[in-house]
Amino acid sequence: MTFLYPALLAGLVLTALPIVIHLINQLRYRTIRWGAMMFLLQANRMSRGLARLRQWLILLMRMLAIACLVLVVSRPLGMGVLGWLTAGHADTTIILLDRSPSMLASSGGRSKLAASRRQLAETLGRFSSSRWVLIESGTLKPHELESPAALEQLPEAGPTSAATDLPSMLAAARNYIVANQAGRTEVWICSDLHSNDWASEDARWNELRSSFAGLPQPVRFHLLAYAEPPGGDVAVRVSDLRARRQGESAELVVSLRLSRQGGGDPVSVPVQFDIGGARSTLNVELVGTSVEVREHRIGLDGRHLRGWGRVSIPADANLADNEFYFTFDASQSPHTVVVSDEREVAEPLQLMASIGPDPNEPRTADVVSLQQSGDVEWAKAALVLWQAPLPEGQVARQLTELVDRGGEVIFFPPRQISDEPAFGLRWKSWSPVPDGAVIDRWRGDEGLLADTQSGMPLPVGKLDLKNICSLVGEATPLATLKGGDPIVARAEMAHGGVYFWATTPAPQDSNLGNEGVVLYVAIQRALAAGSAALGHARQLVAAGFTADGREERAAKWQKLAGSDSALSSEYALQAGAYLDGDLLLAVNRPEEEDTAGMLVDEKVSQLFEGLDFTRIDQVASRDRSLVEELWRPCLIAMLIVLLAEAVLCLPRPAAENARERSRGFAFGR
Amino acid sequence: MKTAARPFLDPSVLARLAGIPLFARQPMQGSVSGRHESPHRGSSVEFAEYREYVPGDDLRRMDWRAYGRSERYYIKEFEADTNLRCCLVLDTSGSMDFGSRGATKIEYGRRLAAAIAYLAVLQGDAVGLTCVAGGVVRNIPPRRNPAHLSAVFDVLEAARPRGPTQLPTALHELAETVRQRALVVIVSDLFVDPDELQPCFEHLRFRKHDVAVFHLLDPQELDFDFRRPMRFVDLEGGASIFAEPNVIAARYLEAVRLYLERLRQIVLESAIDYHRVSLADNYEQVLGRFLTGRAGKRGVR
Repeated sequence: MTFLYPALLAGLVLTALPIVIHLINQLRYRTIRWGAMMFLLQANRMSRGLARLRQWLILLMRMLAIACLVLVVSRPLGMGVLGWLTAGHADTTIILLDRSPSMLASSGGRSKLAASRRQLAETLGRFSSSRWVLIESGTLKPHELESPAALEQLPEAGPTSAATDLPSMLAAARNYIVANQAGRTEVWICSDLHSNDWASEDARWNELRSSFAGLPQPVRFHLLAYAEPPGGDVAVRVSDLRARRQGESAELVVSLRLSRQGGGDPVSVPVQFDIGGARSTLNVELVGTSVEVREHRIGLDGRHLRGWGRVSIPADANLADNEFYFTFDASQSPHTVVVSDEREVAEPLQLMASIGPDPNEPRTADVVSLQQSGDVEWAKAALVLWQAPLPEGQVARQLTELVDRGGEVIFFPPRQISDEPAFGLRWKSWSPVPDGAVIDRWRGDEGLLADTQSGMPLPVGKLDLKNICSLVGEATPLATLKGGDPIVARAEMAHGGVYFWATTPAPQDSNLGNEGVVLYVAIQRALAAGSAALGHARQLVAAGFTADGREERAAKWQKLAGSDSALSSEYALQAGAYLDGDLLLAVNRPEEEDTAGMLVDEKVSQLFEGLDFTRIDQVASRDRSLVEELWRPCLIAMLIVLLAEAVLCLPRPAAENARERSRGFAFGR
Repeated sequence: MKTAARPFLDPSVLARLAGIPLFARQPMQGSVSGRHESPHRGSSVEFAEYREYVPGDDLRRMDWRAYGRSERYYIKEFEADTNLRCCLVLDTSGSMDFGSRGATKIEYGRRLAAAIAYLAVLQGDAVGLTCVAGGVVRNIPPRRNPAHLSAVFDVLEAARPRGPTQLPTALHELAETVRQRALVVIVSDLFVDPDELQPCFEHLRFRKHDVAVFHLLDPQELDFDFRRPMRFVDLEGGASIFAEPNVIAARYLEAVRLYLERLRQIVLESAIDYHRVSLADNYEQVLGRFLTGRAGKRGVR
């Protein structure tokens, strides 16, 4: 049990008051010379057993009454298990707040996030702590609070569209504890147990457990879990978006997906499109858990080939997944630069890069020699196909800038091998491929060689390779020969994509040119990725920490649409449409927020195994605080005790009757 | 009759009580003629019975009128009047030293005993006094001369309450030592086991004594209306008792009630002239009730 005024508990000493008064009373006795001792002796002999017990009970009742009174003025707090779990004073209380979109799921008119903020403010307000620290999922920065009550007003504790990375939050908490010598620490985790947020399979959990267990100060974890699944929540998401010219006009091809957890009866969902103020509605029949609407076409004014839009559905249990922003830009075509001095290589590469899957979306590809590479306008290129000695000097720096901006580069081995590396890799030497050697392993789940959307694998294993050039350096192989030699590898880059192919489409090296499906798909995928990154309209996933330092630039963004309460410093975290210079940005929640399920209870327990951990399940609709003042029950208990004491003290009717009887009997009256 | 100034004597009270004779409830065997019925036939003016003449009877007592009517010889007999031997028994044990309203039980008892002694001597009866505590402390045999009354008063005045109560032993002893029928007046708080008193009373009744008891009780002993913790010091020298009145009152009163109930049963069975007296009562009224009660039973001549 915790008390608002624990110092007043010192008043419990007063419970000894009845005993002291009793003793003083005993000392203040009066002496009387008495004749009728025979009756006193008889009375004494009779005052055993229950009579004596009655006296002790009276004394006990009086002590209990005082104890109850002291408890009342000390303002006890009832918290069930919390009472003994959080007893005592904490030096530091760290609150890890999940601000992810799933926390906006509401029941009873209150979202999980709002309920958790309120309950944390009320609950922690009852406890004493020298320091209150909030680490929220958006920025992972520790915010020192004056009191837990600030949680309800703090803008940094509001909802975001970014997913939560709970291991990172715990790591931030640990770092704070270590850096600030936090002393005895209570860590309150407030989350809806979304499996995406917890990343329970992440290897960091082992390190976190061991590091927390190794801390010199005691750290206790309390999980305030809002694991109640939102009922009837439908999420909308744009899965694909293309804007293309059609003569003087243009159109927007939108693919979207409606999904819901757990399924249910078929429902008709009116999907509203809002593009530049023009609204249109599409009724979608949602059967089962999800439905995909492919290539819904929306006509655009030919003069406005660039803009933003929003897809929304009627409000339901979670407002955060009821809209999705997008931006589009059809004003520029994806451009590829092919650098090669070999015609047999350059021609197929140029063809593959300039022929897009949609004839309405023109693509351009220029071929330049190595000598001309210094004059190329790299800023316009979305993809660079480089089959020449690895770049050096100015060209190498320009390519690095292109990659940093999100552009893609695919290197093919030149005939003349140089020792100069690029992006941490360099070519070593050409060698013939043994007869019958084929690619037996490749990454079909992601990357350039990923399977098709229908699940069909690319015919990578059917490629006929004749000569390959070995690679030196750290890279992630995407396809390897049977012996383990990499054929396609990805350089380790923070962003953008840099790939190395160990052969060329020249007929003497492989049939990549003649049987060009694999290479075509790879180039088109790289071009799409580069275009998306380097175009003037980008779709971003809300995130607090990105490798490109987006969150720092976000403060300068201009908001076109989005939440009114979003802080400008948190634009990178908030869903909406923004303008960054001449760049249109659409920020949305990550896809996993719509699909991931809840973490099972056993898994949660495993994650905190070996640590002092307590879980408290809460429901957003519950309006009661985790802690409640218990002065009323204490007061009632005191009254009951006083009543019992009064009953015990009442002169027994038998005694009064005995007095009357003895007096009447004595004198016949 | 001249009496010395005694604190326990109030002449006005005695004067008022002098008009009520003191009678025994049964025939007495006195040594001289008096106002009390004798078990023997005598020469008083009160007719007793006729009986047939037998040779040797005094012819002066022959009823000739009866002979004239029945031609039979009848002797007319009259009641004999004799004096009364009043044995006063005053309890002088330590418990008699208690009194919550000024006068102690011993003082109250002195007044009662002195008044009865005075009244008895006034009507020509013999008065004796026995003071008992742990045993018989003082004993003055009954005498009827007024000078003896002064001796009784002296003993009463000198009586000091102390020591334990051995009333039953003393009463048994008294029953054996008083040879003729007497009025035995016991003035005591009777703080002894009632079951021990019953044989005493029966013993006295067996010896043809008329037994009267003044049971002196202080109101506080009956009410036990203490509020604060008390240390009760035994007036008879026993161990002290520390008690919380609130705690013990009920049981104390219950013990008193049982004691009184038992005592009442005993006095009824023993045909004792029992008077329970509160120290708050006026002793003149107590004595008035005592005397008139006896006069009603005996009849005044």
